[in-house]
Amino acid sequence: MKSTAILATFVLFAAAEAFAGPPDLSGVWQAPYTPDLTKPLSHDLPYTPYGAERFKNVVHADDPSSYCLPVGPARIIQAPLPFQIVQTPNAVVLLMEYMHTFREIYTDGRGHPDDLEPFRWYGDSVGKWDGDTLVVDTVGIGDRTWLDTAGHQHSDQLHLVERFRKVDENTITWTVTFEDPKMYKEPFTVTLPLKRQKTMLMMYSCEENEKDRVHLDNTKQSAKPGELQ
Amino acid sequence: MRRELIGIATACVGLWLGVLPLSAHHSFAAEFDQSKPVTLEGAVTKVEWFNPHVYIYIDVKDANGKAVNWALEGGPPNSLYRQGWRKDSVKIGDRITVTAYLAKDASSTASIRLVTTPDGRKVFAGTADDGGPKQ
Repeated sequence: MKSTAILATFVLFAAAEAFAGPPDLSGVWQAPYTPDLTKPLSHDLPYTPYGAERFKNVVHADDPSSYCLPVGPARIIQAPLPFQIVQTPNAVVLLMEYMHTFREIYTDGRGHPDDLEPFRWYGDSVGKWDGDTLVVDTVGIGDRTWLDTAGHQHSDQLHLVERFRKVDENTITWTVTFEDPKMYKEPFTVTLPLKRQKTMLMMYSCEENEKDRVHLDNTKQSAKPGELQ
Repeated sequence: MRRELIGIATACVGLWLGVLPLSAHHSFAAEFDQSKPVTLEGAVTKVEWFNPHVYIYIDVKDANGKAVNWALEGGPPNSLYRQGWRKDSVKIGDRITVTAYLAKDASSTASIRLVTTPDGRKVFAGTADDGGPKQ
């Protein structure tokens, strides 16, 4: 009789756990500003010869960000401004203060579309729940964004896998794996904590007062990798 | 004025707690030279409280006594607002002293770090963690 009660309690807890669904990621969050991916990695990026040549010839005046162009799906999370997660049963939407834009991550079971052309810049993102973790797969980013402000670039083969895991009410661990066989010999993974922010999103128009572009260094990269942020 | 200065002082406290205004718009080293710090003093002629960067313009007298208008780039207004700054925290006509870093292109442009307000308070108003110096 006692063992039956224990079993019933266990089944009820298991059912409640399953019924509870995925964790609620809603809220306003911000990562520590990460303008140079080599800093959290503590080592240089694993360039292919082609990738090394691209980095060596970076011209900072060409930074898409300085033209107020979309900055890419990971770099916008690495930015020093907050973003809001809006979670629905079929999609998770990231509303970004920086550049006042958004990313939509479909969680309804669909795959990537055959034609990725319409999804350049932030790519096409689909997500699924792996236990308590939202796993997001992004392709179709194109080759015009940069991975960071230091000038690490990517090709049109960039593929991102992000993992959002809520570790407590005020923290999500964000892990992103960058895979780009044309630019980097092997995938590399960066993990940053997203901290809940007690703030509302504000308006941000990059074009409103853009005055930096004319002053930016328009020569090829002269600093060693890791020196520029 | 008193309320504004309390706000600025609050920003200072925030700074000491490590909560700094930031910008992602461009690389510090791609525009400014951290080996060329400068201290500029002058009267505020214009304030642009817009993204992606706040600009404060001041007239600074050169060696010949001629006024040169400097464009001083600060952090984004969103970050400065969250630290307690408001668009009228520094007003036209205020005499301020700014520690900054010169633009590499030798224009009269510099990246603000600290602003010393007329009553002597020093407030960070730059773009922290941008690769440039903290002060």
